[in-house]
Amino acid sequence: MMTLIIGFLIGCAFGAILYLGGATSYRRILGTLRLKDMWIIKLMGTAIGVGALGIALLDLGGWANMSVKPTYVWGVAIGGLIFGVGWAVSGFCPGTCVVGAAEGKKDALATLLGGLVGALIFSLVYPYLEGLINTANFGKLTLDSAIGINSIWLALAIFVAFIAMTFFILKDKYE
Amino acid sequence: MERDYIISWKVAGISLGLLLILATALVKPLGVSTQFVVSDAAIAHKVAPAFAESNTYLAKYGEKESWGVGYGWMLVLGMFVGGGVAAAIFRKRQPEQDKGSLPPMWQGRFGDSMSKRYGAAFLGGVALLFGARLAGGCTSGHMISGIPQLAISSFIFAATAFGAAILAAKFIYRSGAEN
Repeated sequence: MMTLIIGFLIGCAFGAILYLGGATSYRRILGTLRLKDMWIIKLMGTAIGVGALGIALLDLGGWANMSVKPTYVWGVAIGGLIFGVGWAVSGFCPGTCVVGAAEGKKDALATLLGGLVGALIFSLVYPYLEGLINTANFGKLTLDSAIGINSIWLALAIFVAFIAMTFFILKDKYE
Repeated sequence: MERDYIISWKVAGISLGLLLILATALVKPLGVSTQFVVSDAAIAHKVAPAFAESNTYLAKYGEKESWGVGYGWMLVLGMFVGGGVAAAIFRKRQPEQDKGSLPPMWQGRFGDSMSKRYGAAFLGGVALLFGARLAGGCTSGHMISGIPQLAISSFIFAATAFGAAILAAKFIYRSGAEN
């Protein structure tokens, strides 16, 4: 029960941050994908940099509840490509369409309904895709275990690289 | 220049990073796309239980009694509530061009047709969740949560998703229509 309440509260904060940060804005999403307005990639890059360092520190203390997704190369790569097309066409991702719908955006609601259909289609064809998912599957592979460098150093490198990228390197390009 | 945001990407990005750390410490990292399957499974168990049980993917999610409503589903419900409350409170400060269901940039390229916009948003949603389920996660689970955990799969997903999305956006706006 406690876990459900924590999940709900974390979700509330997540949804509010996405709305307030402009992540449900088509202008911001497509601006980023068209490499003109870097807002979304800067927002995500900052979150990833901060998160990487924090999670590595948690892990050092043994407090991190990790949830690493398995590396089945073909399924992840092809799924990523299909996802990317859907992202550019709709202007939402699975999380922001939920927040956009709550905000009253009917196009976000259309994406949410499309998403339910897309997930259903995936469950229908799943038996035919199991082969693809089981090919080149390296399991829950992480960068630190793959190259044998302690995760705290890699996390520190990601923190520095992502914060440098978002705060200093990426520039918006308006005509 | 008129302020065209409610909170800056810096504030939003740092808050999101801290929230991710908190979630990872308390329960587990953030994730959304699995809950679309959980919701499908819950509906399927209700309207077509035999089908739901026979489908290997749906059967993994959404038990008959609990309907698979766990931490993850409550998180997505929270996103809807938190996003809705924030929108109700801060709507006045939201930039005009970010309001409504017909974004000005889209309108400049495809015109005033709402059915065109909703149709594209729906089909985009189908691709979004099909792709996310095939890959095992979406922007939140794979990118925002996955890269900080140094998951190789998440680096692959981020590269392919951004690559395809940038090319698709370039193609959609190939005529250079402006907002």
